[in-house]
Parts: sequence; C-alpha cells; structure tokens
Amino acid sequence: MDTIINYLDNLFAPLPKSQQLEQLKEELLTNMEDKYHELKQAGKSENEAIGVVISEFGNIDEIIQEFDIDIEVKKEAIPLLTEKDVDMYIQTKQKTSKMIGIGVFLCILGSALLVLVLQLIEDGFLAGIAENTGELFGLIPLLVLVAIAVGIFIYSSMKIEKYRFIDQEGNFELSAQVRNALERKKDAYQPTFLTSMIIGVALCILSPIVLMVTQTLNENASSYGVVALLFFVAIAVYIFIYFGSTNDSYKKLLKVNEYSVQEKKENRIIGAVAVIVWPLAVCIFLISGFVFNQWHINWIVFLITGILFAMFCAAYSILSEKK
Amino acid sequence: MISSDVIRGYNDTIILYLLLDNESYGYEISKKIKDLSDDKYAIKETTLYSAFNRLLKKGYIESFHKAETFGKRRTYYKITKAGRQYYQEKCHEWELTKEVINRFIKERDH
Repeated sequence: MDTIINYLDNLFAPLPKSQQLEQLKEELLTNMEDKYHELKQAGKSENEAIGVVISEFGNIDEIIQEFDIDIEVKKEAIPLLTEKDVDMYIQTKQKTSKMIGIGVFLCILGSALLVLVLQLIEDGFLAGIAENTGELFGLIPLLVLVAIAVGIFIYSSMKIEKYRFIDQEGNFELSAQVRNALERKKDAYQPTFLTSMIIGVALCILSPIVLMVTQTLNENASSYGVVALLFFVAIAVYIFIYFGSTNDSYKKLLKVNEYSVQEKKENRIIGAVAVIVWPLAVCIFLISGFVFNQWHINWIVFLITGILFAMFCAAYSILSEKK
Repeated sequence: MISSDVIRGYNDTIILYLLLDNESYGYEISKKIKDLSDDKYAIKETTLYSAFNRLLKKGYIESFHKAETFGKRRTYYKITKAGRQYYQEKCHEWELTKEVINRFIKERDH
C-alpha cells in the first residue's frame, strides 16, 4: 500500500498545491486502495495487486490538461498544512502561551511580594530589618521574577518563531478535510474558552472586594488586601492569556474574521505602544519608590497603566475599524 | 483490450449511462465498466477523473460527499437533467457513427 501512496505523491509532487488537486489526489488514492484490497481478496499477491493498480492509473498529463494546471507558473508556494502541522502548531501555541502567562503571572506576583514585604516590615514581623534594607528585600524578588519572566518571554518567542508563517503572516492553506476537523475542534473548545473567560472576568471584578474587606476589618491591613488583589489579578491574567491565545490559534488557522492585514497592523501598533508604556510604568514605579519613597502607594501605577492601556487598545481598534 | 485512444469520445457516454439509474462513485463506476465490457475495457483512473471534471464543468453531473463506514469520505456523482439530454444526443450520435463506419468495414470472411 505504501508503494501506491509513494507513487501518487511522486506524481503530484511537481504540481502546484491547491485544494482542488489535494482533493483529487485523495479521491484517486481511495479508488486505488479499493482496487488494491479487492485484488488482494481475489487472491493476487502484493506485487501483482500493486502492478495492476499502477498500470490502470493512466497518465498524469491527462489530469494536468483537464484541470488546466499551469506547472510553469509555479506561484510562490503556499504551504498546505497537514493535520500534523496543525496539531503541532496548536500544541506549540499552547505551550508558549502557558509560558507567557506564567511570565506575566510572575511579574505581577513580584510586585505583590514587594508590597507584602514592605507591609510585613512596617508591622514589625521582620524584626531587625530597617525600612531601607526592607525595600531592597522586596525589590530583589521582584527583579529576580521579572528577569525570569523576560527569559521565559524570549524563549517562548523563539519557540513560536518556527510558526511565524501561520502566527503572523497567515501564509498557508488548509485542505478541506483538515479544515473540517479543525472546525469541529474549535467548536468543542468554545465551552472551555467561555467558561475560562467568565472565571477570569469574575476574578477581576471580585478582586477589589478583598481589598474592601481587609480595609473595613483593619485600616492598616489594606496592604495585605492589595497583595491578595494582585494575586487574583495575576491568576485572571494567566487565564486570559492561556485560554485566549489557544482560542486565537484556532481562529488564526481558520482565518476567522480573516485575520486581516488591518488587524495585523493594529496588533503591531498596539505592541509598539506596549513596549514603550510598560517599561515606562516600571520606571515611574522604581523612581517614585527609591527617590520619593512612595512604596506604599506607587504600585497603583500598574493598575492605572493597565486601565489606560486597555482603553487605548479598545479605542484604537474601534477607530481603525471605522476607517 | 480496447485502446483508450479509440474509445476516447465515448467515455462520457459510458459514465453517464452508469449514472442513469443510480448515483455512484469513482471505483464503483470503473469496476462496472470493466465488468460490463467483459474485461475488454478498463478505464484509467486519470481518464475517469478527467471525465468527471469535464462533466461537472458542463453541468451534466453533480457531485456530493457521503461518509462511508470506517470514516472514509467518498465523492458521489449524480446525473442531472442536462446530463440525460446530453446522453440521448450521444446515443444518436453513436447510431450515426456506427452506421457510417460500418459502410467502410468489410465483412470478414468466415
């Protein structure tokens, strides 16, 4: 049977890859398989069966002529993804988004730790440490975690680089079969996606409650509330990133909403803004801490940046849609 | 065995004939051709699918998918109204061809 598959593969190899030809090839293979199995059942040997099947295949030129195939003008080859490619892409995407999610989680956790350490010192739990050294104690885990996170970001972007043509360029085609299988998988994934988004949003909305509760219990304990709030937000962000980009990978493969040039341009601009805004927020955070000693309140920089950034993203995509 | 050159103009007629009563798929059609011709004509795979493509383009047949057991998906073909009409025309054409060619065929001596 492999002989027959190889035979067909070789004949079709020089032809341009199109959905129509891929379907035709599959159809031909099914027919040849049927013929082969029937010959075998009729008592023919393996070699005889293959011989008959191949001798009755005919001439590929007939197909080339009939289907108007232009072999000369081999356009820029657009890769046709197999089921394996698709699975590998989704797997890699899940793996990298898990990593990115953990990275962001670590960054937020770092700032939560800083607030926690400072409050512990203020409350005298870490006796013997002066407040100045305490700031350092809080900053060290933050910086270490951010460093780890950056390492993770770089590693994950290297891992996904191989799939750039899917992820960024959308430069691929799917056979009808793979597309159908993928559509079913995507539909099956929707309940998971929806549930996770609801949980994430619920966590975000509910997280300030912790702050309010601790504040009403004890005004001095509000910092612990902030720590809990950041922790919940970190979990929510992880959920958004992981489940969101898994869902995104299906959308990109199926080219839902035609992952358009415009959208890609939009992502690039939003990305560029993010690269400037977030480090700026960290700078403000560090300066206000070290120079002006505002550690107890300056974490709010991140919340404000987050909200402003979200507003910018939303406004930008609405405005560019209008055009 | 009939050479494919000779029969070329009538592959469409043969396929349409086999679709007159039932929808069918590639392998079944090629098997029926072999059986009905007493193994004297085995249509090549490429010839068959070129013919399907031609007939589809002209609207003489329609294709649709049907899932088989074992998850195999087959393309089935069904004759259209235009296809039946074309088949009739081809039948008349053959009668004429036969009549003309026969005039140039010398009776073999027995």
